[in-house]
Amino acid sequence: MSTTTACPECDGRLHSEGTETVCGDCGLVVDEDAIDRGPEWRHFNDDDTDPRRTGAPLTRSRHDRGLSTEIGRSTRLKGRKRRRVARMRTHHRRASIGGKAERNQVYGFTEIRRLVAQLELPESVRDRACVLFESAQEAGLLQGRSIEGFAAAATYATCRTAEVSRTRSEIVDRARADAGELAAAYDALNRELGLPTGPIDPTEYLARFASKLDLPRAVERHARALASAGADAGLVNGRNPSGFAGGCLYAAAREHGHDLTQRETAEVADVTPVTLRAAHRDVRDLDVAAEGDGGEDREPRHAGSAPADD
Amino acid sequence: MNREDRREISREYFSRERLAEHHFRSFNAFLDNGMQQVVDEKETIDTDIGDKEGQEPVRVDLGNVRITTPRVREADGSEELLYPQEARLRNITYSAPVFMEMTIVRGGEEEEEYIVDQSETKVGRMPIMIGSNNCNINEFSHEELIEIGEDPADPGGYFIVNGSERVLMTSEDLAPNKILAEYDSKYGDEIQVAKTFSQRRGYRALVLCERNREGLLEVSFPSVSGSINFVTLVRALGLESDEEIVHRVSDDPEVVKFMLENLEAAEVETTEQAIEKLGKRVASGQGKNYQLKRANYVIDRYLLPHLHEEGVDEEEVRINKSYYLCRMAEACFELALGRRDSDDKDHYANKRLKVSGDLMKDLFRTALNKLARDVKYQLERANMRNRNLSVSTVVRSDVLTERLEHPIATGNWVGGRSGVSQLVDRTDYMGVLSHLRRLRSPLSRSQPHFEARDLHATQWGRICPSETPEGPNCGLVKNFAQAMELSQNVDDEIELKRELATMGVEGIPGVETPGTQPADD
Repeated sequence: MSTTTACPECDGRLHSEGTETVCGDCGLVVDEDAIDRGPEWRHFNDDDTDPRRTGAPLTRSRHDRGLSTEIGRSTRLKGRKRRRVARMRTHHRRASIGGKAERNQVYGFTEIRRLVAQLELPESVRDRACVLFESAQEAGLLQGRSIEGFAAAATYATCRTAEVSRTRSEIVDRARADAGELAAAYDALNRELGLPTGPIDPTEYLARFASKLDLPRAVERHARALASAGADAGLVNGRNPSGFAGGCLYAAAREHGHDLTQRETAEVADVTPVTLRAAHRDVRDLDVAAEGDGGEDREPRHAGSAPADD
Repeated sequence: MNREDRREISREYFSRERLAEHHFRSFNAFLDNGMQQVVDEKETIDTDIGDKEGQEPVRVDLGNVRITTPRVREADGSEELLYPQEARLRNITYSAPVFMEMTIVRGGEEEEEYIVDQSETKVGRMPIMIGSNNCNINEFSHEELIEIGEDPADPGGYFIVNGSERVLMTSEDLAPNKILAEYDSKYGDEIQVAKTFSQRRGYRALVLCERNREGLLEVSFPSVSGSINFVTLVRALGLESDEEIVHRVSDDPEVVKFMLENLEAAEVETTEQAIEKLGKRVASGQGKNYQLKRANYVIDRYLLPHLHEEGVDEEEVRINKSYYLCRMAEACFELALGRRDSDDKDHYANKRLKVSGDLMKDLFRTALNKLARDVKYQLERANMRNRNLSVSTVVRSDVLTERLEHPIATGNWVGGRSGVSQLVDRTDYMGVLSHLRRLRSPLSRSQPHFEARDLHATQWGRICPSETPEGPNCGLVKNFAQAMELSQNVDDEIELKRELATMGVEGIPGVETPGTQPADD
């Protein structure tokens, strides 16, 4: 690596191209075949003994922020020593959790991790949900309420604030909490911590519902236009957002001549067909110039099989 | 063959389908059968629920496993087909969801067994090899490939994890389940050793049979420290009489002489005594009953595991193990008498290649075990807190996903091997081709290993004689020859054995010889 910053001939600016350092003005090659003194990225025999490049990043989604130490296992230890290490491992594992609150936190975090993995949400949601759970715990909200409920509520609330809303039933289906526990925990969170959530924008649901119903992109785009036009016209007020999203999709699908039953749509949106019909009645007369907005009708999202039901 | 024909064949071997064919075949076999095999091996996940009074035991039965083609789940919750180029550009993993049928069963102690919950649930994501049967661009035409931004000349055969292309290095291992006789030196004396790497379902156990300087045979295998007298062990396995042991080893008069020396020095006379003796070795200082239990467990679990088979009863397996040990003894004696040379470890007949599918199978096995442990923990927790047990609330799909992705991303494979996956060499097109057809010996590059590095005559037509790196890896990293054909393991062993039986091989365990078949069948 060259330490000079200017060209020795003309004082021009140097820049590196691949392995060469070249003067930008006169084209003098100042240095070539530079040795990369940065960290090594290949694997070496001493990788185990030299832990310079090891260690997981810190994370808020573990009770100890991922800074725990684990006593490993070795096949080289025999007899008495092996038993001693096993004993140390047990003690170490027990000592790594300080008290009841911490144990509850571990349980809550595992539940959040599980939920987030099941719902296939991004990692940032997981970390934020864990932080929210922790602040709920610090505020003493968990007293008399269930941990599972709070784990579910933290995930639900984080989804809402991150604008990737999931319906309550989507959460409850996969959570260990029931709807009552979720509601109690969410209300407590909202009341005591003042969550920055407003009404859910129905468009947040559109992509997911469209993918579940196996609708082409053009339909989704039309539904999106309907939804925003509906929002401008004030039709969303007082309506269940997921029902409204379902109504928009249903209206858009009919417009495009796509076969979609009310029952299917209502099931995916987790509302009754009545709610869906009401929303559909509202939006169908909206004048939206969604057709012919440049989007060629691409093939449906799932070329082969039906969407995986997970 | 004339020159034109030869050229035609050469060209065929350089076609897109052929260059990484070994990777595709291996990985497809893994997807089609290997995954299900691993799940069937596991069969159930047992829990500690029911250990306490008044509780019925709970277990999870694992059923069919199913894998789709790669998908990506967006943050808004929609799921779309994923193509390799998108995975590269967005730095995401080209992986497909894996689904498994799981059944939670409660009862069996006092109540009838009943199903608590049964469903097919997503257990994780499996990275998919580009160009394999489960790849989205499989069977795409030239134009379609260009349409989705894929290079039609790209050979495939690698994975995309977090946007980087990783190829799994084929590794060259010593053939398992084979007797290798060789000389060794112990305390300055030359002794003869017969070795077998016995392998079954990912468990690998080295069994050694050595003839020490007094001419006595000793066997050592995992879980027993030191070595055990040969005669003791065969007697423990049910080969009792002197005559039978000698006869099973060899009919050669000189070998018989050696064998008689061994029998004279025998420590035990009967099977019971032998098992007692073994019990004292494996659980010294414990109660007598425990010693016997432990001795039987060790014999059935750690000694020559590859002789265990489905549908063969324990008794027969044990006697087969004793016959196998006799073969090892014979190899030792013959080596001592100069009747045979020591086996050549570098001979290609004594090598097996572990291609991507085999490596993924190892990985999937440990990942599934980890998942099972997590499911067990989640079930116990849920039960303790009086929650309803349901399949969807006990599976954490990120456990399996992480266990599968992390080794491919870093190259740190299960079993402590590192550098198994490597970043595809994109220096130029030839670099890619060469990299996909590279194989690696697990021998340490810091030691000389002159014989292992040498070009061996049996590499003719299989391994390129000239392409190998200079420096420490010289001769340890090799490349396939152009027209190399990799044969695959037989999937259906029962079928193979039946075939052998019809050709006149007698006494294959678990297979009826045609003549002796019962009449009512």
